[in-house]
Amino acid sequence: MNIHNYEKLWLIAAMLLIIGFIVTITYGSVGLGIAMIDDSEETIDPNALEDHERFGDLGVHQTGDGEYDVNIRAYQFNFEPGSSALGVHDPIVVPENSEVTLYVTSPDVIHSFSVVGTNANTMVVPGEISVMTVEFNEAREYGILCNEYCGSGHHGMEGVIEVVPEDEFHLFSVAGVDAPESAQAGDEVEITATVDNDALDADSAAVSLEIGEETFENELEVDAESSASTTFTVDTGALDLEDAVDIDWTVTVEDGSEATLEDGSASGSIALETDDDENDDTTDDDNDESDGGDQ
Amino acid sequence: MSSDADALERHIGHDEFDPVGTLALIGIYFLILLLMWLFMYFVEFLGNDLTVVGMI
Amino acid sequence: MSAYIDQFPEEAKVIRSAFYASFFALALGAAFGLIQTLHRTDFVRIIPAEMYYTVLTAHGVLMVVTFTIFFLVAIFTWAVTTSLDRGVEDIRFTWSWYGLMTLGTAFAAIAILAGFTDRTEISADVLFTFYAPLQAHPMFYVGLVLFVIGTWLAGADWFRSWWAWKQENPDKRIPLPTFMVLTTMIMWYLATLGVATSIIAFLLPWSLGLIDTVNPTLTRTLFWFWGHPVVYFWLMPAYMMWYIMLPKFSGGRLFSDPLARVVFVLFLLLSTPVGIHHQYLDPGIAEGFKFIAMTNTMFLLLPSLLTAFTVVASMEHGARQRGGEGYFGWLGALPWRDPVFTGMALAGLMFAAGGFSGMINAGMNINYLVHNSLWVPGHFHLTVGTAVALTFMAVSYYFIPQVTGRRLASKQIALVQVVMWFVGMTFMSNAMHRGGLLGMPRRTAEPEYAGFQFETAIGTVGELNAQIALGGVLLTLSTLLFIVNMSITALNDRDDDLPSNTIPEPLSGPNEAPLVLDNLKLWTAIAVVLVIFAYSLPLASIVERGGLFGPGGDAFPMFLELADSFGFALVGETLSAMVSSLLETLRTVV
Ligand code: HEM
Ligand SMILES: [Cu+2]
Ligand SMILES: [Cu+2]
Repeated sequence: MNIHNYEKLWLIAAMLLIIGFIVTITYGSVGLGIAMIDDSEETIDPNALEDHERFGDLGVHQTGDGEYDVNIRAYQFNFEPGSSALGVHDPIVVPENSEVTLYVTSPDVIHSFSVVGTNANTMVVPGEISVMTVEFNEAREYGILCNEYCGSGHHGMEGVIEVVPEDEFHLFSVAGVDAPESAQAGDEVEITATVDNDALDADSAAVSLEIGEETFENELEVDAESSASTTFTVDTGALDLEDAVDIDWTVTVEDGSEATLEDGSASGSIALETDDDENDDTTDDDNDESDGGDQ
Repeated sequence: MSSDADALERHIGHDEFDPVGTLALIGIYFLILLLMWLFMYFVEFLGNDLTVVGMI
Repeated sequence: MSAYIDQFPEEAKVIRSAFYASFFALALGAAFGLIQTLHRTDFVRIIPAEMYYTVLTAHGVLMVVTFTIFFLVAIFTWAVTTSLDRGVEDIRFTWSWYGLMTLGTAFAAIAILAGFTDRTEISADVLFTFYAPLQAHPMFYVGLVLFVIGTWLAGADWFRSWWAWKQENPDKRIPLPTFMVLTTMIMWYLATLGVATSIIAFLLPWSLGLIDTVNPTLTRTLFWFWGHPVVYFWLMPAYMMWYIMLPKFSGGRLFSDPLARVVFVLFLLLSTPVGIHHQYLDPGIAEGFKFIAMTNTMFLLLPSLLTAFTVVASMEHGARQRGGEGYFGWLGALPWRDPVFTGMALAGLMFAAGGFSGMINAGMNINYLVHNSLWVPGHFHLTVGTAVALTFMAVSYYFIPQVTGRRLASKQIALVQVVMWFVGMTFMSNAMHRGGLLGMPRRTAEPEYAGFQFETAIGTVGELNAQIALGGVLLTLSTLLFIVNMSITALNDRDDDLPSNTIPEPLSGPNEAPLVLDNLKLWTAIAVVLVIFAYSLPLASIVERGGLFGPGGDAFPMFLELADSFGFALVGETLSAMVSSLLETLRTVV
């Protein structure tokens, strides 16, 4: 076969180009450690995400020093956490200088989870779990979108990641509040809030109580992965009650993550008694952890 | 169409024909590919924030 | 020495009908394309956002299935009959595959277009990739199956011609155009096994309610088993035109017949074992398999790079015979006033650019940057949307007179048309590439978000959108000019001095090519082996993970055991684990 010399030259150049490409990619993969989404996770039953150890517990979890897992459900047409759905603003909140592993799966069709303008981008396939580990080194906001057509509302599938300064990041939640169900105007009442700290370090929580028109704040030291309680003593006589029948209260813990807004606060009310012989019976205002966000 | 052999000024056989023009063009293309590849990989891609890293 | 219609009047009728079906799809597809460009850039929104996806499904299917493949069967029939210098063996058979393809298209199109009305439950808003668990009406899948069977029979028709010719010419080399048709069709038979399995074994029974669930990764992988080679199925007829017609229109001769054969053999071998490069970001597929697909894909660049040289050299040969001089001066001697030549040359130029963005797409990890962003439609509007589509439109100015015997309505309008396509596509695809790098998603009706904005380094999102819309409008106008020109031509009066239907001899002829190149059995066998290497393990591992019919409680475990008992899954896991752990180890070492 008679091949012109110039063509031979081009053949060699073309081969070098191809090999150069392969070398570059291998360098990215091996030298820089850019991993591909792969099959490292077990499959999952898309119809039973709630029963899965990971996806039964959505949201941000600390796994090590500066290391976090975020469990995310991508469904028609939201990310949970991530999206603002049903009026709840539910961004993914993580601290600056952290290494975050995102676990994403879908209960319905194929979606994507793509952090806008970055290299964090994966398909989300029902039955499979996509895992990406990324480093957040800068406090800022990122958009998330779905870039795989997933049905008629696909274009509305978006969300937000908030990277906050380390000292503004906490994994607190209000585990429960002990408050009297009723009291007499003028009494002193005690309200005890129990706060969980899911982080792997002890942290001090700013717990605040809003009652009537007043706000009280207690500083509370909570050990790693445990809970602690703090009690507010409130003189109802000092509250400006006018002629209310109930005193409304809300306990909030300063939490990095608005994602756990529902866990981050608890509220209830104390009925004001006019009758003298009623007891001060105290019941537990049940504020069990709900599993993160709206369903 | 303009394929009429009569419209041609000359006939050039295989052995008399050196495609220097092609070599020049394709050489330029090669350089463009190379530079654009380097730009896309090292600036656009690696310069981008948030890169998926291996878990070891 | 006569026009095609005089040589093969019966075949000319079928070819004509295939061209018309193809142009009809192009016209409709362009109308939908216009709606999309204006809708997603928020210039004109005449449809509700949900309907965008019905439009997009129609655009995708009409363009890349109907327009391209009907055109292909037309010129492949032309190529085989012309180069073997014999008519088809049985014209009724030829009409039957044409009929089947038309019926299939009608089924699929009705299912898609029914999505526009609420009067029927029928719809197929699944885009041309129809990824499960999104489901279409069974009619859509049936339509696709009929269409593909039609193409299989078309291939059989061409093989039959070749076989008959070979009996009479036992010692002759397969003529180059026929060689190109046959190798392309072998690739097609191999590739369509994937999509046919996906539809016949899973999606169709599932849409009929015969099975409850499917494995989304499996059907997706089977789709891409076909989905990559199909891009070469679109491209091969364009390459054929560049190899055998472009030299003719440049006034030269093909530089090298043997290299053209090598190139087509390489495409046959390498087109299929690469489809996983569309799944670089899929969970459930080992990194090792992705790496293997990446290397195969990179080597698949070789035949295209070789084509660039051979084709440009053939043009240069023409230019020099026309008196062209110098390193670059010869370019001026090319017949730029001829729309057939100019359209093809501009298509080739855009392919050079599209080739580059394709190289980026192929680069496994850099795929994170561009995957499913607007970059991707930017890329394939250069390749299938221009390299292929513009080449097809340009050669139509030659072929339609050949197969109708009528005079081309206007050469000037034709020239304006091809240049307008080039300009329009420059705007649209360049802006799409740039938008993609900002993270703008493809396949999205209204890419405007409440929580964030796309950040631009240079220019603005508004400017990008304006370019996309402007480009889209120019492209649609160009299509309109094409359709009008072709329609008038089809009704024009007879042209009695059409150029004769000939293909010039290459400079370096077939006798220079080693005989082994014509050994189709050998290449088929190697292609099959490569596909088995590339796919049996990933497929086994996907079935092993998710079951044949999907992961979770709904799977049929019986089949899982079957896969296991073949011992396939085990080998698969071991191999992928080996490549993956090799990468991991290297990573730790470095
Ligand atoms: C009139 C000229 C054309 C215009 C204005 C046009 C416009 C568009 C636009 C704006 C999109 C992107 C939609 C999105 O992702 O949201 C698109 C997608 C697409 N176009 Fe075109 N296009 C044209 C011609 C073509 C041609 C000639 C082909 C192929 C032969 C083609 C094939 C496709 C395909 C396959 C898609 C992707 C569909 C999908 O994502 O499912 N287009 N087109
Ligand atoms: Cu989506
Ligand atoms: Cu591909």
